[in-house]
Amino acid sequence: MSQIALFGIIASRMINVEGIDYFRYYVSGLSIMTLYSAAIFIGFDIYEEADHGVFEYLLSLPVSRRQLVLGRSIGGGLRSFIYVGPLIAVSLYVIGSINPLNFLVALFALFLFSFGVSGMSITIAVMIKSSDRFDIFMGVLDALIVRLSTAMYPLAIVQSANPLYGGVASFNPITFAADLFRWGTGLETIITLDNPLIPLLGVIAFFAVFTFVGVIIYERRIEGGGWQ
Amino acid sequence: MAPIIRIENLTKKFGNFVAVDHLNLGIEEGEILGLLGPNGAGKTTAILMLATVIRPTEGTAAVGDYDIRKNPEKVRELLGIVFQEPKMLWVSTTWDIVNWHAKVCGLSKEERKRRVKEVLEALDMWEHRRKNVHALSGGMRKRAELAKVLVQRPKIAIVDEPTSQIDVVGKHRIWNMLRELRDEGSTIILATNELYEADVLSDRVAIMHRGKLIVCDTPKTLKDSIVGGDIVEIQLEKEASSRVVEKLKSFKEVVNVLQVKPSNLRLQLNNVEEVVPKIMNMLVNEKVPITTIHMSEPSLDDVFAHYTGLTIEEAQKTGV
Repeated sequence: MSQIALFGIIASRMINVEGIDYFRYYVSGLSIMTLYSAAIFIGFDIYEEADHGVFEYLLSLPVSRRQLVLGRSIGGGLRSFIYVGPLIAVSLYVIGSINPLNFLVALFALFLFSFGVSGMSITIAVMIKSSDRFDIFMGVLDALIVRLSTAMYPLAIVQSANPLYGGVASFNPITFAADLFRWGTGLETIITLDNPLIPLLGVIAFFAVFTFVGVIIYERRIEGGGWQ
Repeated sequence: MAPIIRIENLTKKFGNFVAVDHLNLGIEEGEILGLLGPNGAGKTTAILMLATVIRPTEGTAAVGDYDIRKNPEKVRELLGIVFQEPKMLWVSTTWDIVNWHAKVCGLSKEERKRRVKEVLEALDMWEHRRKNVHALSGGMRKRAELAKVLVQRPKIAIVDEPTSQIDVVGKHRIWNMLRELRDEGSTIILATNELYEADVLSDRVAIMHRGKLIVCDTPKTLKDSIVGGDIVEIQLEKEASSRVVEKLKSFKEVVNVLQVKPSNLRLQLNNVEEVVPKIMNMLVNEKVPITTIHMSEPSLDDVFAHYTGLTIEEAQKTGV
């Protein structure tokens, strides 16, 4: 909230781009950045569970590894959504407009995005197998994936700064989620989103890869005590 | 009848360290099998392999009709585990943890409600059911861990040191509950390093040391397997004649007779319960009145020492 009340207001006074209300733009992007950061936390839970032996208990239960990882991904995604829910509500209030049908589609995409981020976090956690290395890796990933997205600045600006940055940002799940959220709130004039289907498909692909591929990696890494 | 669990050459290596070394064992349906050994003997690793939590390096086991490598999910449907260290989910009450476990194991809402209440009451946990488990003592957390399996009533229950950190009265209560679980049809694998617990609770005891199965049989057979392991000390009213000593030596069960004092004899023998009445009859016939008689049979610690050359305490200390 302080990011909105302080940084958002102050930064928007510094930035004056024709046709863009940067404050509204920033607030919507901040919601997605926070959703991403909250969904990442599930990876740290995996380490804590391994350290405290809860992992062994979960693996001994009469459920498949697939159900287990899907449950964790969905649980992590829902938790992050609940955590970010008030911020999204404040964002909607600040933005002041909503396109109900578009917003429902965007909300669905954000659910998939948060499940996908949770799945990605779990997958990376079981691959790295060290909480310190995971912490560093996720810090680096966060620095790249959040900054090379449209969460804080429109794609056109990123592209004009550096075509490589623009290329990366175009295929970034945070870009997809942020653009869809703005589209759902009626800010699409700012982002000039030609076709919302592209980011929607991007989010679905991101969710599918890190949930279903994640399940396979999780099974292979975890089965037989591979987390040890 | 075929054993409900058939373990064949089960081996687990962690790098160069062999935690379980070609374990072969059959476990009969409806028995309590005590898996006895010092810390580091490989008991927990063997159990985790049976539970499909860790994968064997070599060998396999059949649990019920299912192979632990090929059908791990089916195997887990038959099992319930009480872990050595209580495994508690985050920020949960005793009720939540036990109820959640029962739910995952497929118990209906009504059945869960009834069984969780029954078990928590039997374990003296009912008053603590709304407390966060992390606020409970070690013994209470262990009871909560045990409650999960008692509510589940699995076909095969694996209990790893179920009474560690629990007071004497609590231990006896838990032993009785495990016997009841066995009597209701569950097969129980009891991993323990407590000799008395293994002795009183197990139908058979499998002794493990350095990852290997040393021996497996009923506690009585194991104790009887130590030649001259039973000790009888006889205090006579008068000096024992050489004739009496020779007659004592003539019993086939008697391994050695030591005349500690003229009227004090120490006998090393087998099958103490069978031979003592015969010895007493002989002494009465020889008109040698007995002042006191003291009998002791070998403990499972003696059995462990007999097979490994170390007492279980020594093995625990040296970590070998």
